Amino acid sequence: MSLLPLYRTAWRRIRRRPLQYLLFILGVAIGVAMMVSIDLANGSAQRAFQLSTDAVTGKTTHRLVAGSVGLDEAIYTRLRRELGYTQSAPVVEGYVRVPEMGEQPYRLLGIDPFAEPPFRTYLGQDLRNEALTPFLAQANSVILSTDLAARFGLELGDSLTLDNSGVLTQAVIVALVSPGDGNEARAMGSLIFTDVATAQEVLALPGRLSHIDLILNDDAPLMAIEAILPEGVRVELAAARGNAIQQMSAAFTLNLTALSLLALVVGMFLIYNTVTFSVIQRRPLFGVLRCLGVTGGQLFTLILGEAFLLSLIGSILGVGLGVVLGQGMVRLVTQTINDFYFVVTVQEVAVPAAALVKGVLIGVAAALLASLMPAIEAMRTAPTSNLQRSALESKTRRFIPWLLAAWAVLVVIGSFLLALRGVSLIITFAGLFTVLIAFALLTAPVTMWLMERVAPLVGALFGPIGRMAPRDIVRSLSRTSVAIAALMTAVSVIVGVSIMIGSFRQTVVTWLDSTLQADLFISPPTLTASRNVGTLQPEVIAIASGWPGVAATATVRSVMVNVPDLGRDVELRAVAGDVTRGGRQYAWTDNQPDLWARFIAGEGVMLSEPLLLKENLDTPPPPITLVTDQGPQTFPVLAVYYDYSSDQGSLMIGDPLYRQWWADEAVSSMALLVVDGVDVDAMVLALQAELAPVQELSISSNQGIRQGSLEIFDRTFAITAALRLLATMVAFIGVLSALLSLQLERTRELGVLRATGMSLRQMWQMVLLETGLMGTLAGLLAMPTGYVLAWILIYIINVRSFGWTLMMDLRPQYFLQALMVAVVSALLAGIYPSLRLGNMVVASAIRQE
Amino acid sequence: MMKRFLFFLTFGLLVALAFWVSLGREEDAAAASSSLIAQLSAPNTAGFAQALVPGAVQFPRDLGPHPDYQTEWWYYTGHLQTAEGRLFGYQLTFFRSALLPQTLFDPGQGGSAWRTNQVYLAHFALSDIQAREFYAEEQFSRGAAALAGAQAQPYQVWLNHWRAEQVGPGQVRLYAQGEQMELDVRLTETRPPVLHGDQGLSVKGGEPGNASYYYSLIGLETVGTVTVNGQPFAITGLSWKDHEYSTSALSPGAVGWDWYSLQFDNGYALMFFQIRREDGRLEPYSSGSWIDPQGNITHLTLADWQMTPVQFWRSPVSRGEYPIGWRIRIPTIGLELDGGALMPNQELTVSTTYWEGVSAFTGTLNGEPVTARGYVEMTGYAP
Repeated sequence: MSLLPLYRTAWRRIRRRPLQYLLFILGVAIGVAMMVSIDLANGSAQRAFQLSTDAVTGKTTHRLVAGSVGLDEAIYTRLRRELGYTQSAPVVEGYVRVPEMGEQPYRLLGIDPFAEPPFRTYLGQDLRNEALTPFLAQANSVILSTDLAARFGLELGDSLTLDNSGVLTQAVIVALVSPGDGNEARAMGSLIFTDVATAQEVLALPGRLSHIDLILNDDAPLMAIEAILPEGVRVELAAARGNAIQQMSAAFTLNLTALSLLALVVGMFLIYNTVTFSVIQRRPLFGVLRCLGVTGGQLFTLILGEAFLLSLIGSILGVGLGVVLGQGMVRLVTQTINDFYFVVTVQEVAVPAAALVKGVLIGVAAALLASLMPAIEAMRTAPTSNLQRSALESKTRRFIPWLLAAWAVLVVIGSFLLALRGVSLIITFAGLFTVLIAFALLTAPVTMWLMERVAPLVGALFGPIGRMAPRDIVRSLSRTSVAIAALMTAVSVIVGVSIMIGSFRQTVVTWLDSTLQADLFISPPTLTASRNVGTLQPEVIAIASGWPGVAATATVRSVMVNVPDLGRDVELRAVAGDVTRGGRQYAWTDNQPDLWARFIAGEGVMLSEPLLLKENLDTPPPPITLVTDQGPQTFPVLAVYYDYSSDQGSLMIGDPLYRQWWADEAVSSMALLVVDGVDVDAMVLALQAELAPVQELSISSNQGIRQGSLEIFDRTFAITAALRLLATMVAFIGVLSALLSLQLERTRELGVLRATGMSLRQMWQMVLLETGLMGTLAGLLAMPTGYVLAWILIYIINVRSFGWTLMMDLRPQYFLQALMVAVVSALLAGIYPSLRLGNMVVASAIRQE
Repeated sequence: MMKRFLFFLTFGLLVALAFWVSLGREEDAAAASSSLIAQLSAPNTAGFAQALVPGAVQFPRDLGPHPDYQTEWWYYTGHLQTAEGRLFGYQLTFFRSALLPQTLFDPGQGGSAWRTNQVYLAHFALSDIQAREFYAEEQFSRGAAALAGAQAQPYQVWLNHWRAEQVGPGQVRLYAQGEQMELDVRLTETRPPVLHGDQGLSVKGGEPGNASYYYSLIGLETVGTVTVNGQPFAITGLSWKDHEYSTSALSPGAVGWDWYSLQFDNGYALMFFQIRREDGRLEPYSSGSWIDPQGNITHLTLADWQMTPVQFWRSPVSRGEYPIGWRIRIPTIGLELDGGALMPNQELTVSTTYWEGVSAFTGTLNGEPVTARGYVEMTGYAP
């Protein structure tokens, strides 16, 4: 038998009820859009970083690297003069801001043009003799790509300001180059080339190289090279560094992806709901069709075919929407990556076909999965079975013990997944989703139980209408429970994420209060919010220390050191003086008296909590080995401190101990403790005026820095808030669609009621009461679910992703807001059906009889 | 010796190459060289010191670098042979070029040791006569951060690990290593320096200052090791060193030049260069020196010699056709010579293309039979 008539019936139905299907499509579209936009934003940031890393790495196979201040330039000279190793190139690099070229940071790449040819090709073939002379022989000459210059209207010979942590240098563009290949051109968009000499001067790295690039095809020269390396200099694979840096933000991007998937999960409820509904409505039709010889398999195919087509349209729309949203998301993602992880400048949102295909596939797969149950249901419609809906409803009720059992099983599985330690974060997130779905399954039993209990109460309040509404909800449990579950899931995400962000913020506030006890902070302006990469001019320290009214100073030198046991670089903060005035909070200490005094005296180092947690170190932590300028040294660990400024972990070391092992005199930032009664704000202004000619600095009062930190915090969570909003939208559409179907289906029933004397007002009351009840129920159910979600996010996901322990901070508003959202969206969803039912002609509504 | 043309060409290309990267891209190199030749016809020599005064060269001061002059080179060539008589030829040259005159060069306030206006280039070539193999490599560097440089006392010129360094009174060690060859020899002076031209002032053209300071150390007894493809050979031989510095432009119309250095078995030596012009004629300022065993120098001008190419070789790489057999007649000193390259392919195809090779001559001096070991350089033949 041809399937054509079958599809014609489906098409007719779509034409009769376009709104439902539009909402279906919209639900899929928004879910897919969120996922795709996050995917694109993450991908673009990573890709931009990869491109610039690749361009800078070129053909380099190995690198000689040392600590933050790089390595002695004499090593390069020895490499060439003693070993004759000419497959080597010096690089001095760092990030600068260029006011003439917008806000984003640029990578200033100091190279030796004579050493470059085997390594990098980006300078292309446009350079002539007249460019080489100034490039080498004139200080502060730079080369840009033609595209970059054109973007900011710059020309050959124009001047640029290179701003390295507040120290400004005027540079001149001596050449513009046009790299051929597209990727190179993109990478060049964030690079400024200069000579090694200028880079050393601009970046304040006299006598140092950031790294020496090598091309090594076999190990023989490597051994000779290693033999001349001083302590503290090591060989690393060129590919390793970029990977390690990218790895830093892996947890962050995974968290975003997981959040974006939440929207899709909510969307799946919606799809399930729509499809179930369409199946239920057509049960009589299916019964007739089965009598006419249509097989169960054909019906199954029909339902899934519908879902496939609709979800395909929805997914394609979603992908388009996702690309648009991605433009905004990439800014948020890049901001956070720059604040916390590494400097990256995204020139454009890359739209790889794979991401789009993935979006469509996941959208369609989710829709098919959600349609599977209703499709099976349709398939099982026996020709002989009664054609009544009540059959399904009674079946749903019989199903309830099974739902409870499934809930229990999923809770156990979810808890088990969450309890697994040292596994991929993806598994942890799978646990989170499992628990979330378990709670959604609980909706039907709880709805039935509660509605039966509230019926008398509502009846007492609203009379017969009040008794009818809860019963209606229970009677149509197969659909109402799904609508409630969808709304509940979405609202619980709002609750959970709100609690998590609120707790996080409160924890950070408390931490800032206890940590930032100094009155005034001086630091060079930086490109990354969490770490100081610039240094203070010695003159600045001298002037500030001697300023009248300064009671004490504390300085920090922040550098990256290699920790061989962890196989990566970790931030080391060498501190002199205590900015916390003894108020620092510790996650663990060795319980010996005079901790801080012993620490400053050089008895050992301290670890930050993220370092301990993310690296799965034991408590008490074992002694830690750091690569100093005099080779590897092992230091005992005295304490573990809380630190919310970086999820990469950090170490603290007493300043004298640091200077003993590292040949570094620089200071990254300083804090001033002021004698009582001094006007700090006035002092900030006076110091700014005094120090401005020495170095452009960021001088802030305690209040200012606290505010700044919270601004960064809020900025970081802006994307989470955006995702929360989108999840709410999906939920709202889901509820709208579910309730709409529900109410429209009742046309006949309400017609009968109206015919038997129900007033228009009563009908409005009943519809709104029903949707209101459902909304309230969803809101109430969302509270415990949201709490559990928050608990998982705070105590499991955050700890594993970022190593931060947060104090859960519960506030009534998180729950009340959620309840409001649920009730209001449910009521709103009741308005359209009421309007429609209000306008119906009673006679035509019951004519179907 | 007149290697300015080569020198400029090389330096021009060095710029290109430093940035140009793909050594294989011939159209680029060609484009660069043509644009550079265009530039060189009107080079900016303002602000550089010029060679103007005869007798200005002093030792040991002038063994070292002269950064005030635009260009300078230290040029070593030599015949080497094993005890069994296996022959090798070598060339090790260090070039220096000032990008800017010292007076215009501002190193800036930052104090980086890398900033400089001096750039170095070195060529190292080895001719393995028996195997008929020729190897050549080059290196570039800035003259800063101790990567490349030169000094008078103790005498030293170096670029990366290639170097000429004084190891004792009148003794210099040359060391260079390439992918397939290595040279490690000690040169011992046996004769006083030869000042070419007018007491070291070698005039190259009609314009004042179009000249160089030019001296040679000849009769350098050479002992050491040559390693080819991992196989070391103990060798002895005879080397010739040129040192020349100047600030001068090419005369318009010059397309290349030929340079000959010959050391005779009876203690005589001959150097002469001839600049070839576009119109097929030779530059009248082409000149030479005839040195007798006592060190007396007879200045030669273009009119003194007749040089006839008698054999040619076409390079399969550059397609340039080089003369590799020569008939030389210098009636004023009674010299009649015939000679040729010991092997045809001694063409360097590095950033610039030229032929520089070990050669041998026989003939008569005032009727007496003589033989001579020669090194010949020919530039401007490759299209």
